[in-house]
Amino acid sequence: MVNKYKIYHNIMFLVLTFSLLVLISSPSSSSESENDPFESVNRGIFKFNNQLDDYLFKPAAKGWRAIPDIPRKPLSNLASTAKTPVSLANAILQLNKKSIGDILGRFLINMTFGLGGMFDVASTDNFGNMAEVEEDFGQTLAVWGVPDGPYVMLPIFGPSSVRDAFGLGVDTITNPVSFAYRMNGIGLEGRLSGPSVRGVAKREKYLDYLDEMKEGSLDFYATMRSLYRQKRKKDISGELESKDLSLSMSQIDLFEDERPASTTTDNDDKVMASSLIEENEVTPKTRYYNGVLPSSNYPGFNESRVNLIE
Amino acid sequence: MFHLRKFIILVLFSFPVSVSSDEKIEQSKFFVENLGKQVVEKVSNVNLSENERTINFRNLYLAAFDNYYISRFVLGRYWKRLDSDMRKQFIKSFDNYIVATYAPKFKGWEGTFKAVDSLIENNYYNVKMNVLNKDGPTLKLMWKIYLDKNKNFKILDVNIDGVSMLVTQRAEFLSVIKNNPKGVIGLIEAMNKKTSG
Repeated sequence: MVNKYKIYHNIMFLVLTFSLLVLISSPSSSSESENDPFESVNRGIFKFNNQLDDYLFKPAAKGWRAIPDIPRKPLSNLASTAKTPVSLANAILQLNKKSIGDILGRFLINMTFGLGGMFDVASTDNFGNMAEVEEDFGQTLAVWGVPDGPYVMLPIFGPSSVRDAFGLGVDTITNPVSFAYRMNGIGLEGRLSGPSVRGVAKREKYLDYLDEMKEGSLDFYATMRSLYRQKRKKDISGELESKDLSLSMSQIDLFEDERPASTTTDNDDKVMASSLIEENEVTPKTRYYNGVLPSSNYPGFNESRVNLIE
Repeated sequence: MFHLRKFIILVLFSFPVSVSSDEKIEQSKFFVENLGKQVVEKVSNVNLSENERTINFRNLYLAAFDNYYISRFVLGRYWKRLDSDMRKQFIKSFDNYIVATYAPKFKGWEGTFKAVDSLIENNYYNVKMNVLNKDGPTLKLMWKIYLDKNKNFKILDVNIDGVSMLVTQRAEFLSVIKNNPKGVIGLIEAMNKKTSG
Protein backbone atom coordinates (compact mmCIF):
# COMPACT_ATOMS: atom_id res chain seq x y z
CA MET A 1 0.00 0.00 0.00
CA VAL A 2 2.82 2.35 0.96
CA ASN A 3 4.62 1.58 -2.32
CA LYS A 4 1.47 2.39 -4.29
CA TYR A 5 1.29 5.91 -2.77
CA LYS A 6 5.04 6.35 -3.26
CA ILE A 7 4.75 5.54 -6.99
CA TYR A 8 1.69 7.85 -7.27
CA HIS A 9 3.54 10.72 -5.61
CA ASN A 10 6.65 10.16 -7.72
CA ILE A 11 4.58 10.29 -10.93
CA MET A 12 2.80 13.45 -9.78
CA PHE A 13 6.14 15.02 -8.84
CA LEU A 14 7.55 14.29 -12.31
CA VAL A 15 4.44 15.68 -14.03
CA LEU A 16 4.54 18.83 -11.93
CA THR A 17 8.27 19.34 -12.49
CA PHE A 18 7.83 18.93 -16.25
CA SER A 19 4.92 21.38 -16.23
CA LEU A 20 6.95 23.92 -14.33
CA LEU A 21 9.86 23.61 -16.79
CA VAL A 22 7.57 24.11 -19.78
CA LEU A 23 5.95 27.04 -18.03
CA ILE A 24 9.20 28.82 -17.26
CA SER A 25 10.48 28.37 -20.80
CA SER A 26 7.33 29.60 -22.54
CA PRO A 27 6.09 33.12 -23.20
CA SER A 28 2.86 34.39 -21.69
CA SER A 29 -0.25 34.69 -23.76
CA SER A 30 -1.47 37.89 -25.27
CA SER A 31 -4.84 38.93 -26.62
CA GLU A 32 -3.75 38.44 -30.25
CA SER A 33 -1.77 35.22 -29.83
CA GLU A 34 -3.57 32.08 -28.77
CA ASN A 35 -0.29 30.61 -27.38
CA ASP A 36 -1.22 27.09 -28.40
CA PRO A 37 1.95 25.33 -29.62
CA PHE A 38 0.44 21.88 -28.94
CA GLU A 39 -2.68 22.65 -30.97
CA SER A 40 -2.78 19.46 -33.02
CA VAL A 41 -2.42 17.27 -29.91
CA ASN A 42 -4.87 19.47 -28.02
CA ARG A 43 -7.43 19.18 -30.81
CA GLY A 44 -7.08 15.38 -30.66
CA ILE A 45 -7.70 15.38 -26.90
CA PHE A 46 -10.57 17.85 -27.39
CA LYS A 47 -12.18 15.44 -29.85
CA PHE A 48 -11.76 12.60 -27.35
CA ASN A 49 -13.24 14.76 -24.56
CA ASN A 50 -16.21 15.65 -26.76
CA GLN A 51 -16.91 12.00 -27.45
CA LEU A 52 -16.60 11.24 -23.75
CA ASP A 53 -18.96 14.12 -23.09
CA ASP A 54 -21.52 12.88 -25.61
CA TYR A 55 -21.54 9.34 -24.27
CA LEU A 56 -20.88 9.86 -20.55
CA PHE A 57 -20.89 13.37 -19.07
CA LYS A 58 -23.86 14.80 -20.95
CA PRO A 59 -26.16 11.85 -20.20
CA ALA A 60 -24.97 11.99 -16.57
CA ALA A 61 -25.73 15.73 -16.44
CA LYS A 62 -29.18 15.14 -17.92
CA GLY A 63 -29.79 12.40 -15.36
CA TRP A 64 -28.58 14.74 -12.63
CA ARG A 65 -31.04 17.40 -13.79
CA ALA A 66 -33.88 14.87 -13.60
CA ILE A 67 -33.23 14.20 -9.89
CA PRO A 68 -35.57 16.15 -7.56
CA ASP A 69 -34.12 19.24 -5.84
CA ILE A 70 -33.72 17.15 -2.71
CA PRO A 71 -31.35 15.25 -2.68
CA ARG A 72 -29.71 16.93 -5.75
CA LYS A 73 -29.04 20.35 -4.23
CA PRO A 74 -27.83 19.16 -0.78
CA LEU A 75 -25.42 16.71 -2.48
CA SER A 76 -24.11 19.45 -4.74
CA ASN A 77 -23.74 21.84 -1.79
CA LEU A 78 -21.89 19.24 0.28
CA ALA A 79 -19.48 18.63 -2.60
CA SER A 80 -18.86 22.39 -2.89
CA THR A 81 -18.34 22.74 0.86
CA ALA A 82 -15.76 19.93 0.74
CA LYS A 83 -13.64 22.13 -1.51
CA THR A 84 -13.53 24.96 1.04
CA PRO A 85 -10.12 24.04 2.58
CA VAL A 86 -8.40 24.25 -0.84
CA SER A 87 -10.03 27.59 -1.67
CA LEU A 88 -9.26 29.00 1.77
CA ALA A 89 -5.62 27.89 1.67
CA ASN A 90 -5.16 29.53 -1.74
CA ALA A 91 -6.92 32.73 -0.65
CA ILE A 92 -4.47 32.89 2.28
CA LEU A 93 -1.49 32.26 -0.03
CA GLN A 94 -2.72 35.12 -2.23
CA LEU A 95 -3.23 37.35 0.84
CA ASN A 96 -6.67 38.09 -0.59
CA LYS A 97 -8.55 39.44 2.44
CA LYS A 98 -11.89 39.70 0.65
CA SER A 99 -11.79 36.09 -0.56
CA ILE A 100 -10.69 34.86 2.89
CA GLY A 101 -13.63 36.70 4.50
CA ASP A 102 -16.14 35.48 1.91
CA ILE A 103 -14.98 31.85 2.03
CA LEU A 104 -14.94 31.74 5.84
CA GLY A 105 -18.25 33.62 6.08
CA ARG A 106 -19.98 31.27 3.65
CA PHE A 107 -18.50 28.20 5.33
CA LEU A 108 -19.61 29.22 8.82
CA ILE A 109 -23.12 30.24 7.73
CA ASN A 110 -23.69 27.10 5.67
CA MET A 111 -22.22 24.80 8.33
CA THR A 112 -24.54 26.23 11.00
CA PHE A 113 -27.75 27.55 9.42
CA GLY A 114 -27.31 25.34 6.34
CA LEU A 115 -27.28 22.10 8.38
CA GLY A 116 -23.67 21.10 7.92
CA GLY A 117 -23.31 22.50 4.40
CA MET A 118 -26.34 20.74 2.91
CA PHE A 119 -28.16 23.99 2.17
CA ASP A 120 -26.57 27.05 0.61
CA VAL A 121 -28.31 29.62 2.80
CA ALA A 122 -25.34 32.02 2.49
CA SER A 123 -26.31 32.87 -1.08
CA THR A 124 -29.88 33.84 -0.12
CA ASP A 125 -31.10 37.42 0.42
CA ASN A 126 -31.22 36.89 4.19
CA PHE A 127 -27.44 36.46 4.31
CA GLY A 128 -26.50 39.09 1.75
CA ASN A 129 -26.27 36.91 -1.39
CA MET A 130 -22.75 35.66 -0.66
CA ALA A 131 -21.61 34.08 -3.90
CA GLU A 132 -19.34 31.03 -3.89
CA VAL A 133 -15.66 31.97 -4.13
CA GLU A 134 -13.30 29.43 -5.66
CA GLU A 135 -9.56 29.91 -5.42
CA ASP A 136 -7.07 27.40 -6.76
CA PHE A 137 -3.31 27.09 -6.94
CA GLY A 138 -3.29 28.16 -10.60
CA GLN A 139 -4.78 31.49 -9.50
CA THR A 140 -2.30 31.70 -6.64
CA LEU A 141 0.59 31.24 -9.06
CA ALA A 142 -0.91 33.95 -11.29
CA VAL A 143 -1.11 36.34 -8.33
CA TRP A 144 2.54 35.53 -7.63
CA GLY A 145 3.35 36.61 -11.18
CA VAL A 146 3.70 33.25 -12.92
CA PRO A 147 2.52 33.46 -16.57
CA ASP A 148 -0.15 31.05 -17.75
CA GLY A 149 2.06 29.42 -20.39
CA PRO A 150 0.85 27.42 -23.38
CA TYR A 151 -2.74 26.33 -23.63
CA VAL A 152 -3.27 22.64 -22.91
CA MET A 153 -6.30 20.43 -23.27
CA LEU A 154 -6.38 17.92 -20.43
CA PRO A 155 -8.11 14.59 -20.93
CA ILE A 156 -11.40 14.59 -18.98
CA PHE A 157 -10.66 17.89 -17.16
CA GLY A 158 -10.81 19.95 -20.37
CA PRO A 159 -9.28 23.37 -21.18
CA SER A 160 -6.31 24.48 -19.09
CA SER A 161 -2.87 26.02 -19.30
CA VAL A 162 0.46 24.65 -18.15
CA ARG A 163 0.28 26.85 -15.05
CA ASP A 164 -3.29 25.86 -14.24
CA ALA A 165 -2.63 22.16 -14.89
CA PHE A 166 0.30 22.37 -12.47
CA GLY A 167 -2.02 24.13 -9.98
CA LEU A 168 -4.62 21.41 -10.38
CA GLY A 169 -2.00 18.79 -9.52
CA VAL A 170 -0.92 20.70 -6.40
CA ASP A 171 -4.52 21.19 -5.25
CA THR A 172 -5.23 17.48 -5.72
CA ILE A 173 -2.17 16.34 -3.76
CA THR A 174 -2.54 18.83 -0.92
CA ASN A 175 -6.31 18.66 -0.45
CA PRO A 176 -6.80 17.99 3.30
CA VAL A 177 -10.09 16.22 2.61
CA SER A 178 -8.21 13.65 0.52
CA PHE A 179 -5.75 13.19 3.41
CA ALA A 180 -8.66 12.65 5.81
CA TYR A 181 -10.12 10.04 3.48
CA ARG A 182 -6.81 8.21 3.26
CA MET A 183 -6.26 8.34 7.02
CA ASN A 184 -9.67 6.71 7.52
CA GLY A 185 -9.03 4.04 4.88
CA ILE A 186 -11.64 5.33 2.44
CA GLY A 187 -10.95 4.05 -1.06
CA LEU A 188 -10.61 5.84 -4.40
CA GLU A 189 -14.35 5.67 -5.09
CA GLY A 190 -15.01 7.64 -1.90
CA ARG A 191 -12.30 10.18 -2.68
CA LEU A 192 -13.68 10.71 -6.17
CA SER A 193 -17.26 11.27 -4.98
CA GLY A 194 -16.76 15.00 -4.28
CA PRO A 195 -15.06 15.90 -7.58
CA SER A 196 -17.53 13.69 -9.51
CA VAL A 197 -20.58 15.42 -8.02
CA ARG A 198 -19.01 18.84 -8.59
CA GLY A 199 -18.17 17.92 -12.19
CA VAL A 200 -21.63 16.59 -13.01
CA ALA A 201 -23.31 19.58 -11.31
CA LYS A 202 -21.13 21.98 -13.30
CA ARG A 203 -21.85 20.14 -16.56
CA GLU A 204 -25.57 20.31 -15.76
CA LYS A 205 -25.29 24.07 -15.26
CA TYR A 206 -23.86 24.54 -18.76
CA LEU A 207 -25.96 21.84 -20.45
CA ASP A 208 -28.02 24.19 -22.65
CA TYR A 209 -25.36 26.86 -23.19
CA LEU A 210 -22.74 24.40 -24.45
CA ASP A 211 -25.14 22.72 -26.86
CA GLU A 212 -26.15 26.08 -28.33
CA MET A 213 -22.54 27.20 -28.56
CA LYS A 214 -21.47 23.97 -30.25
CA GLU A 215 -24.30 24.23 -32.74
CA GLY A 216 -23.58 27.82 -33.77
CA SER A 217 -19.81 27.66 -33.72
CA LEU A 218 -17.55 27.48 -36.76
CA ASP A 219 -14.60 26.26 -34.70
CA PHE A 220 -15.75 24.99 -31.31
CA TYR A 221 -12.20 24.27 -30.17
CA ALA A 222 -11.10 27.89 -30.74
CA THR A 223 -14.26 29.18 -29.05
CA MET A 224 -13.62 27.07 -25.93
CA ARG A 225 -9.97 28.12 -25.87
CA SER A 226 -10.93 31.79 -25.94
CA LEU A 227 -13.67 31.35 -23.33
CA TYR A 228 -11.27 29.55 -21.00
CA ARG A 229 -8.57 32.20 -21.28
CA GLN A 230 -10.99 35.09 -20.74
CA LYS A 231 -12.73 33.40 -17.81
CA ARG A 232 -9.41 32.68 -16.09
CA LYS A 233 -8.29 36.27 -16.57
CA LYS A 234 -11.50 37.47 -14.98
CA ASP A 235 -11.23 34.98 -12.08
CA ILE A 236 -7.67 36.08 -11.40
CA SER A 237 -8.01 39.84 -11.81
CA GLY A 238 -11.59 40.10 -10.60
CA GLU A 239 -12.23 42.60 -13.38
CA LEU A 240 -15.25 42.06 -15.57
CA GLU A 241 -13.39 43.26 -18.63
CA SER A 242 -9.80 42.67 -19.59
CA LYS A 243 -7.63 45.78 -20.01
CA ASP A 244 -6.26 44.14 -23.18
CA LEU A 245 -9.70 44.44 -24.74
CA SER A 246 -10.07 48.12 -23.87
CA LEU A 247 -6.69 48.83 -25.42
CA SER A 248 -7.45 46.67 -28.42
CA MET A 249 -10.79 48.42 -28.98
CA SER A 250 -9.34 51.86 -28.69
CA GLN A 251 -7.05 51.09 -31.64
CA ILE A 252 -10.04 51.27 -33.98
CA ASP A 253 -11.33 54.72 -34.79
CA LEU A 254 -15.09 54.69 -34.31
CA PHE A 255 -15.53 57.81 -36.43
CA GLU A 256 -13.12 57.00 -39.24
CA ASP A 257 -13.69 58.46 -42.71
CA GLU A 258 -13.58 55.18 -44.60
CA ARG A 259 -16.65 53.93 -42.73
CA PRO A 260 -19.59 53.79 -45.17
CA ALA A 261 -22.40 56.31 -44.58
CA SER A 262 -24.72 53.47 -43.72
CA THR A 263 -23.76 49.90 -42.96
CA THR A 264 -27.30 48.71 -43.59
CA THR A 265 -27.29 49.58 -47.27
CA ASP A 266 -27.64 46.04 -48.44
CA ASN A 267 -30.67 45.72 -50.71
CA ASP A 268 -31.84 42.52 -49.05
CA ASP A 269 -31.90 44.29 -45.70
CA LYS A 270 -33.95 47.13 -47.18
CA VAL A 271 -36.46 44.69 -48.61
CA MET A 272 -36.70 42.82 -45.33
CA ALA A 273 -37.08 45.99 -43.30
CA SER A 274 -39.74 47.39 -45.63
CA SER A 275 -41.68 44.13 -45.68
CA LEU A 276 -41.71 44.21 -41.89
CA ILE A 277 -43.31 47.62 -41.87
CA GLU A 278 -45.70 47.11 -44.77
CA GLU A 279 -47.00 43.70 -43.79
CA ASN A 280 -48.99 44.93 -40.87
CA GLU A 281 -50.98 41.73 -40.55
CA VAL A 282 -47.85 39.53 -40.37
CA THR A 283 -47.01 40.53 -36.82
CA PRO A 284 -49.47 41.37 -34.06
CA LYS A 285 -50.16 45.11 -33.93
CA THR A 286 -48.61 45.54 -30.50
CA ARG A 287 -45.42 43.95 -31.78
CA TYR A 288 -45.30 45.96 -34.99
CA TYR A 289 -41.86 47.36 -35.75
CA ASN A 290 -42.38 51.11 -36.00
CA GLY A 291 -39.08 52.10 -37.56
CA VAL A 292 -37.92 53.97 -34.47
CA LEU A 293 -34.57 52.83 -33.24
CA PRO A 294 -34.19 51.90 -29.61
CA SER A 295 -31.65 54.68 -29.28
CA SER A 296 -34.22 57.33 -30.14
CA ASN A 297 -36.63 56.35 -27.40
CA TYR A 298 -34.87 57.75 -24.34
CA PRO A 299 -36.78 59.98 -21.98
CA GLY A 300 -36.11 63.58 -22.92
CA PHE A 301 -34.07 62.55 -25.92
CA ASN A 302 -34.56 64.10 -29.35
CA GLU A 303 -37.33 62.08 -31.01
CA SER A 304 -35.61 61.66 -34.34
CA ARG A 305 -36.90 58.77 -36.36
CA VAL A 306 -34.13 56.84 -38.03
CA ASN A 307 -35.40 55.34 -41.20
CA LEU A 308 -33.93 51.98 -42.10
CA ILE A 309 -35.63 51.88 -45.50
CA GLU A 310 -34.89 55.25 -47.01
CA MET B 1 -15.33 88.70 -3.17
CA PHE B 2 -13.60 88.04 -6.44
CA HIS B 3 -13.05 84.42 -5.47
CA LEU B 4 -16.68 84.01 -4.48
CA ARG B 5 -17.85 85.36 -7.86
CA LYS B 6 -15.40 83.10 -9.64
CA PHE B 7 -16.67 80.17 -7.61
CA ILE B 8 -20.32 80.96 -8.45
CA ILE B 9 -19.50 81.24 -12.17
CA LEU B 10 -17.62 77.96 -12.00
CA VAL B 11 -20.55 76.24 -10.30
CA LEU B 12 -23.05 77.70 -12.78
CA PHE B 13 -21.04 76.55 -15.75
CA SER B 14 -20.16 73.17 -14.40
CA PHE B 15 -23.73 72.32 -13.32
CA PRO B 16 -25.26 71.83 -16.80
CA VAL B 17 -22.28 69.67 -17.78
CA SER B 18 -22.80 67.31 -14.89
CA VAL B 19 -26.56 67.15 -15.49
CA SER B 20 -25.95 66.41 -19.16
CA SER B 21 -23.54 63.64 -18.24
CA ASP B 22 -26.05 62.15 -15.80
CA GLU B 23 -28.74 62.31 -18.46
CA LYS B 24 -26.57 60.45 -20.91
CA ILE B 25 -25.85 57.80 -18.32
CA GLU B 26 -29.57 57.36 -17.72
CA GLN B 27 -30.15 57.28 -21.48
CA SER B 28 -27.50 54.59 -21.92
CA LYS B 29 -29.25 52.47 -19.29
CA PHE B 30 -32.62 53.08 -20.88
CA PHE B 31 -31.21 52.14 -24.29
CA VAL B 32 -30.19 48.62 -23.29
CA GLU B 33 -33.29 48.05 -21.17
CA ASN B 34 -35.47 49.16 -24.06
CA LEU B 35 -33.59 46.91 -26.44
CA GLY B 36 -34.26 44.00 -24.07
CA LYS B 37 -37.97 44.83 -24.03
CA GLN B 38 -38.06 44.96 -27.82
CA VAL B 39 -36.30 41.60 -28.06
CA VAL B 40 -38.92 40.05 -25.76
CA GLU B 41 -41.76 41.63 -27.76
CA LYS B 42 -40.47 41.16 -31.28
CA VAL B 43 -38.20 38.13 -31.19
CA SER B 44 -39.10 35.89 -28.24
CA ASN B 45 -42.84 35.81 -28.99
CA VAL B 46 -43.75 32.17 -29.73
CA ASN B 47 -46.62 33.26 -32.01
CA LEU B 48 -44.19 34.61 -34.59
CA SER B 49 -43.16 32.51 -37.56
CA GLU B 50 -39.45 31.77 -37.91
CA ASN B 51 -39.26 34.21 -40.82
CA GLU B 52 -40.85 37.02 -38.81
CA ARG B 53 -38.56 36.30 -35.88
CA THR B 54 -35.53 36.44 -38.14
CA ILE B 55 -36.61 39.71 -39.78
CA ASN B 56 -37.37 41.37 -36.45
CA PHE B 57 -34.06 40.23 -34.98
CA ARG B 58 -32.17 41.45 -38.02
CA ASN B 59 -33.75 44.89 -37.76
CA LEU B 60 -33.02 45.18 -34.06
CA TYR B 61 -29.44 43.98 -34.58
CA LEU B 62 -28.73 46.41 -37.41
CA ALA B 63 -30.36 49.28 -35.54
CA ALA B 64 -28.73 48.72 -32.16
CA PHE B 65 -25.31 47.22 -32.96
CA ASP B 66 -22.40 48.83 -34.80
CA ASN B 67 -22.04 46.00 -37.29
CA TYR B 68 -19.27 47.79 -39.21
CA TYR B 69 -17.08 48.16 -36.15
CA ILE B 70 -17.84 44.61 -34.95
CA SER B 71 -17.02 43.17 -38.39
CA ARG B 72 -13.76 45.07 -38.41
CA PHE B 73 -12.79 43.99 -34.91
CA VAL B 74 -13.53 40.28 -35.38
CA LEU B 75 -11.37 40.14 -38.51
CA GLY B 76 -8.39 41.59 -36.65
CA ARG B 77 -5.34 42.12 -38.83
CA TYR B 78 -7.04 40.57 -41.87
CA TRP B 79 -9.41 43.55 -42.25
CA LYS B 80 -6.73 45.77 -43.73
CA ARG B 81 -5.88 43.16 -46.37
CA LEU B 82 -9.40 43.21 -47.82
CA ASP B 83 -10.58 45.56 -50.54
CA SER B 84 -13.87 47.44 -50.26
CA ASP B 85 -15.96 44.77 -52.03
CA MET B 86 -14.58 41.98 -49.89
CA ARG B 87 -15.29 43.98 -46.76
CA LYS B 88 -18.91 44.48 -47.87
CA GLN B 89 -19.18 40.79 -48.65
CA PHE B 90 -17.78 39.90 -45.23
CA ILE B 91 -20.11 42.31 -43.39
CA LYS B 92 -23.12 40.89 -45.22
CA SER B 93 -22.17 37.27 -44.47
CA PHE B 94 -21.34 38.12 -40.87
CA ASP B 95 -24.69 39.89 -40.34
CA ASN B 96 -26.51 36.88 -41.77
CA TYR B 97 -24.46 34.54 -39.59
CA ILE B 98 -25.24 36.52 -36.41
CA VAL B 99 -28.94 36.64 -37.23
CA ALA B 100 -29.13 32.93 -38.11
CA THR B 101 -27.19 31.98 -34.97
CA TYR B 102 -28.91 34.12 -32.38
CA ALA B 103 -32.51 34.74 -33.55
CA PRO B 104 -33.73 31.15 -32.91
CA LYS B 105 -32.18 31.16 -29.43
CA PHE B 106 -34.62 33.79 -28.20
CA LYS B 107 -37.71 31.82 -29.15
CA GLY B 108 -39.95 31.54 -26.11
CA TRP B 109 -37.42 33.22 -23.84
CA GLU B 110 -39.00 34.92 -20.85
CA GLY B 111 -37.38 37.31 -18.47
CA THR B 112 -36.60 40.92 -17.72
CA PHE B 113 -33.64 43.20 -18.29
CA LYS B 114 -32.56 45.55 -15.51
CA ALA B 115 -29.73 48.02 -16.07
CA VAL B 116 -28.05 48.51 -12.70
CA ASP B 117 -25.23 50.91 -13.51
CA SER B 118 -23.52 52.78 -16.31
CA LEU B 119 -19.93 54.01 -16.25
CA ILE B 120 -18.25 56.25 -18.79
CA GLU B 121 -14.78 55.11 -19.87
CA ASN B 122 -13.13 57.24 -22.57
CA ASN B 123 -15.73 57.30 -25.37
CA TYR B 124 -17.58 54.25 -24.13
CA TYR B 125 -20.45 53.64 -21.76
CA ASN B 126 -20.16 50.38 -19.84
CA VAL B 127 -23.73 49.52 -18.88
CA LYS B 128 -24.06 46.78 -16.29
CA MET B 129 -27.22 44.77 -16.53
CA ASN B 130 -28.91 41.88 -14.76
CA VAL B 131 -30.88 39.56 -17.01
CA LEU B 132 -33.46 37.85 -14.85
CA ASN B 133 -34.31 34.57 -16.57
CA LYS B 134 -37.77 33.31 -15.69
CA ASP B 135 -36.53 29.71 -15.47
CA GLY B 136 -32.85 30.01 -14.73
CA PRO B 137 -30.04 31.85 -13.04
CA THR B 138 -29.62 35.62 -13.29
CA LEU B 139 -27.05 36.60 -15.91
CA LYS B 140 -24.75 39.54 -15.32
CA LEU B 141 -23.97 41.39 -18.53
CA MET B 142 -21.99 44.45 -19.39
CA TRP B 143 -22.78 46.30 -22.61
CA LYS B 144 -20.12 48.42 -24.19
CA ILE B 145 -21.85 51.19 -26.13
CA TYR B 146 -21.04 54.61 -27.56
CA LEU B 147 -22.80 57.57 -29.16
CA ASP B 148 -22.29 57.58 -32.91
CA LYS B 149 -22.13 60.63 -35.21
CA ASN B 150 -25.93 60.84 -35.26
CA LYS B 151 -26.03 60.77 -31.45
CA ASN B 152 -27.59 57.31 -31.44
CA PHE B 153 -26.27 54.72 -29.05
CA LYS B 154 -24.59 51.77 -30.75
CA ILE B 155 -23.50 48.53 -29.12
CA LEU B 156 -19.92 47.42 -29.62
CA ASP B 157 -19.70 44.43 -27.31
CA VAL B 158 -21.54 42.32 -24.76
CA ASN B 159 -19.59 40.93 -21.84
CA ILE B 160 -21.04 37.97 -19.94
CA ASP B 161 -19.33 37.26 -16.63
CA GLY B 162 -15.94 38.35 -17.90
CA VAL B 163 -16.31 36.82 -21.36
CA SER B 164 -16.42 39.27 -24.25
CA MET B 165 -18.52 38.14 -27.19
CA LEU B 166 -16.36 40.22 -29.50
CA VAL B 167 -13.07 38.68 -28.35
CA THR B 168 -14.55 35.17 -28.48
CA GLN B 169 -15.84 35.73 -32.00
CA ARG B 170 -12.51 37.11 -33.15
CA ALA B 171 -10.60 34.16 -31.66
CA GLU B 172 -12.89 31.77 -33.48
CA PHE B 173 -12.70 33.58 -36.82
CA LEU B 174 -8.93 33.97 -36.73
CA SER B 175 -8.62 30.25 -36.06
CA VAL B 176 -10.91 29.42 -39.00
CA ILE B 177 -8.89 31.72 -41.28
CA LYS B 178 -5.60 30.22 -40.07
CA ASN B 179 -6.75 26.64 -40.63
CA ASN B 180 -8.45 27.27 -43.96
CA PRO B 181 -6.27 27.48 -47.10
CA LYS B 182 -8.71 30.01 -48.61
CA GLY B 183 -8.27 32.37 -45.65
CA VAL B 184 -11.00 35.01 -45.27
CA ILE B 185 -12.87 33.64 -48.31
CA GLY B 186 -12.92 30.28 -46.55
CA LEU B 187 -14.40 31.96 -43.48
CA ILE B 188 -17.08 33.68 -45.57
CA GLU B 189 -17.93 30.35 -47.21
CA ALA B 190 -18.12 28.63 -43.82
CA MET B 191 -20.46 31.36 -42.52
CA ASN B 192 -22.64 31.16 -45.62
CA LYS B 193 -22.81 27.39 -45.31
CA LYS B 194 -23.86 27.67 -41.68
CA THR B 195 -26.47 30.28 -42.55
CA SER B 196 -27.96 28.34 -45.43
CA GLY B 197 -27.87 25.04 -43.53
